[in-house]
Amino acid sequence: MILLEVTNPGSSVSLVLFFGTIGMLALTIGLIVFIIFHQRKVIRYQLRLQRMEQDQQKLLLNASIRLQEEERQRIAADLHDDAGPLLATARLYLNENLVNLDKTTQLQSIYNAKQIIDDTIQLIRNISHSLMPPTLKNFGLESAVNDLFQKISGSGSMNASSRFHDYRERLQAETELIIFRVIQELVNNILKHSNASFIHLTQNTSGSKFFIRLHHDGRGITQNDFNKLNKSNVGLGLKNIQSRLKVLHGKIFFEKDMSQTYYKVTIELAKDEEDKLQTPV
Amino acid sequence: MEGGYWVIFVYCILSFVADSAFRIPSIKHYSFYVLSALTIIEYSLFSLFLYFSYKSRLFKTILIVCSLLFYVIAVINILSKRSASFDSLSASLEASLIILFSIFFLYEQINDPTIIYVYSSKKFWVIIAFLLYFSSILFLFIYAVTLTSQQHKSYWRINNIFDTIKNLLFTVAFAMKKNKQPEPSLENFYPEEN
Repeated sequence: MILLEVTNPGSSVSLVLFFGTIGMLALTIGLIVFIIFHQRKVIRYQLRLQRMEQDQQKLLLNASIRLQEEERQRIAADLHDDAGPLLATARLYLNENLVNLDKTTQLQSIYNAKQIIDDTIQLIRNISHSLMPPTLKNFGLESAVNDLFQKISGSGSMNASSRFHDYRERLQAETELIIFRVIQELVNNILKHSNASFIHLTQNTSGSKFFIRLHHDGRGITQNDFNKLNKSNVGLGLKNIQSRLKVLHGKIFFEKDMSQTYYKVTIELAKDEEDKLQTPV
Repeated sequence: MEGGYWVIFVYCILSFVADSAFRIPSIKHYSFYVLSALTIIEYSLFSLFLYFSYKSRLFKTILIVCSLLFYVIAVINILSKRSASFDSLSASLEASLIILFSIFFLYEQINDPTIIYVYSSKKFWVIIAFLLYFSSILFLFIYAVTLTSQQHKSYWRINNIFDTIKNLLFTVAFAMKKNKQPEPSLENFYPEEN
């Protein structure tokens, strides 16, 4: 405490007082200037982060719009190229001249028209199923994934299997559809680019987390590749996955197996986020 | 007045009353006790304001512990130095502690990610007033006992000048509009398209 109370008047008080006060003031002003500059640095950094986030959002949004457009074009093409000619053919069979024809020809025309209308119904059903798989709607994610994997295995090009370990309760329909679309996109990528001989999907839960993991033995990508592709203008499908998972506040990890033989993709979702999705805002 | 600003307001009133009271000749006989009491009151009010301003529990605890020590030392000092004209130890200790507490506050502010513009808050200007005032008068208080009456008269101008600056900064703080941290706007999502 003696340092805070000088009692020796012999010392050069004026000098110490002058330099002490000036020094303290300089330190204080220095501190204030530092804080202001630090703040500016922080603001610049935050603005940069915000801009990066906006750019990323823009990329995801563009990807999602492009995919939506592609999907619409596909549906339009299916309807125009397949359903349109079929219905036109059916109309030809059922034209006004039909009444002037003999009974056998009439019956044959009606039968042909019926066949064509049945084909059209089947075609429209297929289009509708591609928009919302009925297995997913009626029986849930596990059945829809099994169905999808059976079709892949059935083609003979790849062995696909899935196992759901903890799926006693169905998730919200919207959540299941998003997860299914993400799985579809991932499987599609594996089929297109990986040259894999098998895909294996496992589902699990841990605490409040819901996990889906895909393994395959082909060429895959790691998290670094995924991040790079997400920031670039290519990799539309991956951006679509990212934007879909963003809705569920989910995460996705791409990694190589410890043995360096397999590629793993893990989707992680919080179950409470799923609950939030069902609560109307 | 929310956020502890009423403490500063009370301090301003007290400070004005005390400065006016020192013009009464009979008070000057008791200047040691009056100044010591004022030091304790001033410390109490400023530390109370800082206590209200802290978010960190650790800083609040440090402030309480240091305040208890300060009160013990100040009281002992008043009782033991009745003949002195100015309680240098208590005043210097007060200045040092308030400087330290102000640095804690600024440290807390720059580490808070929710605060974007620290200088847009009233508290920042109050704390700057504390820092400037106490850092300028610290050495004056430490050497106060050794000063001759002539030196005291000339050096005490430092106190008066920085007291005025402190009050001006308090005025700036009070005159500021209620602190609203500008939120990062998401409305302008695609600024280049506007």
